[in-house]
Amino acid sequence: MSKAHHTLESRRKLTLFGLLLPPSAFLAVFFLGPLAIMIVYSWLTPGLYGGVEWKFFHLNYGRILGWADTKYERFDPVYFEIFLRSVKLAATTVLLSLILCYPVAFWVSRMPEKRKNLVIFLITLPFFISLIVRLFAWVLILRPTGFFNQALMGLGLIDEPLEIIFTGTAVIIGMVYVFVPFMFLPLYASIEKLDLSLIEASQDLGANRLQTFFRVILPMTLPGIVGGSIIVFIPSLGNFIVPSLLGGAKVVMIGNLIEQQFLSARNWPFGAALGMMVMAAVLVLLLYYIRIVTREERQAGGLKVAEEVAA
Amino acid sequence: MTNNTLKRVAKATLAAAALVAVASAAQAEEELNLYNWGDYINPQVLAKFTEETGIKVNLDTYGSNEEMLAKIQAGATGYDIVFPSVHMHDIMFQLGLLEKTDIGSDPAFKNIDPQFIRAKTDPDAEYCLPYAWGTVGIVYNKKKVAEMTGWEDLFALADKGEKIILLDDLRETIGIGHIMNGTSVNSTDEDEIKAAADYILERKKNVTAFTYDSIPLVQSGDVAAAHWYVGANIFVQQAPDVLAYVIPKEGATMYQEDICVLASAPNKDNAKKFLQFYLQPEIAALNVQQQLNGTPNLPARELLPPEIANNESIYPPQDVMEKLQIFVDLGRDLQLYNSEWTRIKTAQ
Repeated sequence: MSKAHHTLESRRKLTLFGLLLPPSAFLAVFFLGPLAIMIVYSWLTPGLYGGVEWKFFHLNYGRILGWADTKYERFDPVYFEIFLRSVKLAATTVLLSLILCYPVAFWVSRMPEKRKNLVIFLITLPFFISLIVRLFAWVLILRPTGFFNQALMGLGLIDEPLEIIFTGTAVIIGMVYVFVPFMFLPLYASIEKLDLSLIEASQDLGANRLQTFFRVILPMTLPGIVGGSIIVFIPSLGNFIVPSLLGGAKVVMIGNLIEQQFLSARNWPFGAALGMMVMAAVLVLLLYYIRIVTREERQAGGLKVAEEVAA
Repeated sequence: MTNNTLKRVAKATLAAAALVAVASAAQAEEELNLYNWGDYINPQVLAKFTEETGIKVNLDTYGSNEEMLAKIQAGATGYDIVFPSVHMHDIMFQLGLLEKTDIGSDPAFKNIDPQFIRAKTDPDAEYCLPYAWGTVGIVYNKKKVAEMTGWEDLFALADKGEKIILLDDLRETIGIGHIMNGTSVNSTDEDEIKAAADYILERKKNVTAFTYDSIPLVQSGDVAAAHWYVGANIFVQQAPDVLAYVIPKEGATMYQEDICVLASAPNKDNAKKFLQFYLQPEIAALNVQQQLNGTPNLPARELLPPEIANNESIYPPQDVMEKLQIFVDLGRDLQLYNSEWTRIKTAQ
């Protein structure tokens, strides 16, 4: 019996290995490889016309962190400021898309099966069209002679077109628009699984609506909230298309700054160093996420043990 | 497997075989791969080249010199011809990316006005052929502002609350500051660059956006005026009652692109044929009729319809020409502009 168990176990391991090999190989080649190039480049001397010279150079980080002071490589707190501004924009995007998606996910999860699938399909529909095209459509919608302003003026709600396009408001509208599906899907997954009888139980035991929400619903959907927030936060942090197109490129985000280094400034190593900074921030965030998730699992595991003991 | 599926599989196999046959036929055909700025050559020119030589032309496009250089440097192959600006022509020569063509010794090269052989590294046009040139000025909506003569008018318009757009290009936009301060757009003096950047920075609060995509917004009147290229004349021609393009009276920058063959070109002979083809005045004129920009080909200008040849915003008189500045490569000093540009973009 133990031997049979053993072979079963090893066969399972083999299958798992076989299944995991292709994605691992893919990630090694197309994720770790480029990452290694970026790390190496960030410590090299910028080539005069882009590219790198194979000589060690630490001023790329010095420009960001404070010890560079030569004619071409000078420390400037502005890079850190730009980074913080991007963090703020990404956090705002997360918060607004969360507020928008949370109730909608509840609503959708209570729909009949058929309509539910249709709605989820509709939410993923924008992915079928290029992001650039959709953002240009937003320019047309938000500009003074655009649809939005003309509709409001037609309804008599405003006399003069609102100043939206090329402002911070337009950037936030665009960012939330782009990232809403990424927030919705993980949220929906955890809200769908929510056991309604637990809510009833909580009410039976005398909890009011707020208590039920904060002590039952919120903790149980937390993995979806944290997951969605991280999936939205990471790409928003590096997004440079939305601030360029809808913000009129008047405000630089960390993504614009990195793009500028690789193209118009022809300084690849500095761009790579800035990229590393973003990467470090994202890594810290992911570690935090993993800690929360494992704690959740441990708690859930503890709950199961308690149930078994009680039985 | 049902009969039906079998049929479907057979059909798919046939289709795949047909595709392979077509693909190999295409391989045998002569080809030329152009890598050009977006909308920067009249498609009729390419059609005519194919008609005359039987060489199939493929066109791929880029948005900036730097984008093109980065791609070629990163090892993109398969392109035969690129259209770099003069300073990028110099850079690419120094990086050994260009192929010698001896186009300057072609008998038809006498058509080219010698003042357009601008690249310092290629004084005898042994490598590249001067392609086209133009100015960077202001396009404005005539319903918003009756007439505009220069940069001062542009910023005065912004002060009055009208919307204006500048290019999202560090050298062009800081260049306006240089022109207004009377310094060279190629200055490498730190104080001069800072002063030029300050000129833009002081006016930034009235600038609506930094972008290249401004024509539709000017046309609709959402924006009154925008810093743009002479190519705006294409849109002016379509809507002459609404739009106008002006070369600023204080001076402006000009650009020029050259046609260069890459050292890595797979079809070098075809590429050289294209350069020779483009020396013909009829062909250069055909291109200008759609592009509405300047050609260095002197006999081609005589073939142009008078409304283009006499348009002073395309072919300005000599005194205006003398006020135009062209960018040269700054080497490491570009970093000074880069830092100032970041400063402009971060200010709120």
